Amino acid sequence: VVGQAGRYVGASVLRVEDPRFLMGRGVYVDDISIPGILHAAFVRSPFAHARIVSVDVRAAAAAPGVVAVFSGADLAPHIAPVVTPPNRPETAVTQHQPLPPDRVRFAGEAVAVVVAMSRYVAEDAVELVDVEWEPLPVAMDGVAAMAEGAPAIDPELDSNNVAHIIWEAGDPDAIFDRADHVFSTRFFVHRYAAMPLETRGVVASIDPSSGDLMVWISSQFAHVVRTALAASLGMPERAIRVVSPAVGGGFGVKVAVYPEDIVIPAVARLLGRPVKWIEDRCEHIAASSHSKEITCEMDVAVSDHGDLLAFRAHYVGSGGGYNLFPFGVLADPFAAAGMIFNQYRTEHARCVVDGPLTNQCPIGAYRGVGWTSGHTIREVLIDEVARGLGLDPVELRLSNTIPEEPYRTPFGQQYDGGSYVRSLELARELVDYGNFRTKQANLRERGRYAGVGFSPYVEPSGWGKQIADANGFTETNYFDTARVTLEPDGSAIVTTGLHSQGQGHETTFAQVVAERLGLRLEDVRVEQGDTATSVFGMGTFASRGAVIGSGTLGLAALDVREKLIRLAADALEAAPEDIELRDGVAFVVGSPSTARTIAELATSVYYGGTGAPAGVDDVVLTSTRSYDPGESYSNGTVAAIVEVDVETGIVELQRVVAVEDCGTMLNPMIVEGQVAGAIAQGIGGALYEEIQYDEHGQLLTPTLMEYLYPSAMEIPGIEIAHIETPSPVTNGGVKGLGEGGSIAAPAAVLNAVADALAPFGVRVVRTPLDPEEILRLLRDTSSDGGRR
Amino acid sequence: MKPAPFKYVRAETVDHALDMLAEYGSDARVIAGGQSLVPMMSLRLVRPAILVDIARTPGLSGIVGEDAVIRIGATACQSAVLASDEVRDAAPVVCEALRHVGHPAIRNRGTIGGSIAHADPAAELPAVALALDAQVVARRSSGDRVLAAHDFFRGYFETALEEGELLTELRFPACGPHERTAFLEVARRHGDYALVGVVVRVWTSSSLVEGARIVVFGVAPEPTRVEGAEDSLVGAALDEASIRAAAGVAAADLAPRGDVHASGEYRKSVAEVLVRRALQACRGPAATP
Repeated sequence: VVGQAGRYVGASVLRVEDPRFLMGRGVYVDDISIPGILHAAFVRSPFAHARIVSVDVRAAAAAPGVVAVFSGADLAPHIAPVVTPPNRPETAVTQHQPLPPDRVRFAGEAVAVVVAMSRYVAEDAVELVDVEWEPLPVAMDGVAAMAEGAPAIDPELDSNNVAHIIWEAGDPDAIFDRADHVFSTRFFVHRYAAMPLETRGVVASIDPSSGDLMVWISSQFAHVVRTALAASLGMPERAIRVVSPAVGGGFGVKVAVYPEDIVIPAVARLLGRPVKWIEDRCEHIAASSHSKEITCEMDVAVSDHGDLLAFRAHYVGSGGGYNLFPFGVLADPFAAAGMIFNQYRTEHARCVVDGPLTNQCPIGAYRGVGWTSGHTIREVLIDEVARGLGLDPVELRLSNTIPEEPYRTPFGQQYDGGSYVRSLELARELVDYGNFRTKQANLRERGRYAGVGFSPYVEPSGWGKQIADANGFTETNYFDTARVTLEPDGSAIVTTGLHSQGQGHETTFAQVVAERLGLRLEDVRVEQGDTATSVFGMGTFASRGAVIGSGTLGLAALDVREKLIRLAADALEAAPEDIELRDGVAFVVGSPSTARTIAELATSVYYGGTGAPAGVDDVVLTSTRSYDPGESYSNGTVAAIVEVDVETGIVELQRVVAVEDCGTMLNPMIVEGQVAGAIAQGIGGALYEEIQYDEHGQLLTPTLMEYLYPSAMEIPGIEIAHIETPSPVTNGGVKGLGEGGSIAAPAAVLNAVADALAPFGVRVVRTPLDPEEILRLLRDTSSDGGRR
Repeated sequence: MKPAPFKYVRAETVDHALDMLAEYGSDARVIAGGQSLVPMMSLRLVRPAILVDIARTPGLSGIVGEDAVIRIGATACQSAVLASDEVRDAAPVVCEALRHVGHPAIRNRGTIGGSIAHADPAAELPAVALALDAQVVARRSSGDRVLAAHDFFRGYFETALEEGELLTELRFPACGPHERTAFLEVARRHGDYALVGVVVRVWTSSSLVEGARIVVFGVAPEPTRVEGAEDSLVGAALDEASIRAAAGVAAADLAPRGDVHASGEYRKSVAEVLVRRALQACRGPAATP
């Protein structure tokens, strides 16, 4: 492994993709234009649960400009059901038709598709499709779906609960029996969702010469989409090319295969014409995927000294109408359970997890998945322990924090070392904690209520087979590859199965390869997102990019480096160990004039000539490697300072401090962008963003007038500090960090609000903390502080 | 999210616009900035047969101060009004309110006349018009009709504009030497429609309140003058006791409905807080922007 920091790795080089995006030259799915392209619009269910009695498409099909209308029954013979694989032995295997022929399970679900000359005409015709519905009873949250007599949401299942899982370590009951104190909460984390600037979209076309299916899709994992399409359409993967062009934000919502992703290609095949569908914002809010909703009862057993001795928790998810391919309903509640220990040295826990279906939009992955919800509930409860015992919340956490060396959790996760203590101490220092407490007391005397909240976190990263296993997702597999090829002129083309949705792969991956091959950054070109030109990979999500990108590319680049060094040694008549590669030149250490450019060496391999290698075998200047990283966990602390207007319920977020440790940083500027973006989304979840349904399953937040994400006006400048604890188990010491901010920020904000309102005895038991909820908390204060 | 089919005509003159409105009647909608109308059309909540675009119609976008009145043309964009020294000097509360209308990109398109004619119950400008006793000029083929703001707003997105009429101008009286105004709102995010907002105008004589306008918005189908609270201040010193009493009276007169953003109870309670704070702000020295 090449050293951890170098000319490029660890440098804040500017993003090479920025000029393209900033000048509006990125090509997104909606920019794909094919002569004769048709446009699709979907007929969607107004009911949360209903039987489809009949679908009459005649009037729509007869409308001018309409080419075809297909109901679920029309398409069923052409589409094999989507099977969502289990991710645990306890998980039920589910299957469904992308366009249901008989029943709908949530409001907004697509039931028919209109294909027309324009999107306008298609939407006009959607209004002419006559569906006869027979409404059915609904279950609008996980608890209701698991209750006796709840309506059956998937008739093929024995119950609505897709998985019931118990994960236990130590002997929690014995600890609780003799604990000095038990603190408890029943907490509701609400439903919110990724809201990328670019919605989803699909274009499908049959290539007229090859007959291959071409699909352009705004997706985080083109290769997995290809596999799913092959299965659903009964086609070989070799005959399908999936291209994910520029993606305007993903955040997890684009790491699923949705009904439209299959229906549009199916319809393009049936019609033999290109078809485009671009999701509008209402469709995105109603019928992509949501995240985070969990109802949880959690107890913590605590000693008089504030030792966190044991946890007990029951997490009930709220999975939505379908077990979404590929991650399913466990992405929230089971992830929440798996990370219950966080950075605490607690030895006992029992987590019970239920993953029921409900009559809501399916849940999917969204930055931090259920780690966000589980972390939020635990950290709010720990602040209640501190208040209840009269202990300082930072000291309480520090006294329970694991050592910074590699550590095995009671659930068996193998942390690779971090700055668990230092990050919290540094965050405390950066918020000027002592002075803040003085200022807080002074403000209170004047009837003003400020508070500070801390949220130290451990983030599973570089999601591959090993870390998935360790976190209980034992039935899942991950396989990732990358290829590095040196071209005749000494430039390098690298391809990866990871796709950027804004992460800056074209920059960071070029940094990794340039570093290892001794090239200049501009000599390296990164190809991604196209199954025809990129090698296989599972895509970019779960903080995988940095770890798996630098792992796969690092290994492949080292192979090519070795070949280059042999070529150079041969050409320069030196020992391989004496060759150094830098700035596109191979030279003998200590004798820089004894040199060949890498371009000369590469040219000689491809085109021969005087410098052609003699006696060097296997000089193909390419390598493809796979990589499954060891378990890597980044860590850090988010701290927030707020002031609450107790008359209006408005929370003013005054400061956010983030200390992050993602091991060796590839590019600190990009790291800071990830931290800031994730924290902004966490703040959105804590204070603003909420998907709401009424009791009948009608969506109350169908547009961005109701679903409020924070704007630049609501997010303060985020102060970021770095600690680097290189991972001993990943290539280059890298850890992923895409999600820490959205995992940790909500608890920091919630704890700051609870701290501000401590004089009123307020307990935070649900999110989001909108102004109404703040006033409700102030009205309904209970004084038990969670102690039982 | 595409609008239903519609026709479009750009009005070359005000008379042209009036002709179009006369021809199409209630099937026509006037568009200027389109910041509210276009999203509503895209959601198919409104389906006009024809849009009459007055954004570039000459003579409708002036800002003129004369005789203690500031006249603002209907198509003056909100950012132009916000940047106008004349408006800021004569009616500073208009500018205060405009800072809460959307964001710069929205204010560059959105117009003063559009905000008034759209009559969103949670919008800032209708409330300001009411508190300042502004006048609305409506033109029809037979001439101009001048309406008082308090006669203009008639309910959710409803105004006194009649079929075939075009809103051409707003007239705001200039702030008098003994007048104080204040604007406060609580919104979920900066630039959102208010959950609750308040505009107050108080004028005094020998340190006693001679008259007051207290307008609360976001709490009823139209911006609401709480006249009981206004009356309670007349003849009183603007002190803590009279302010708190007026705020209590104001809230008691409101029966707001809830929506996805906040309950009616929340709005009522915060209306009292904002009325109190706005009146307290009027106790200070005159605003010198």
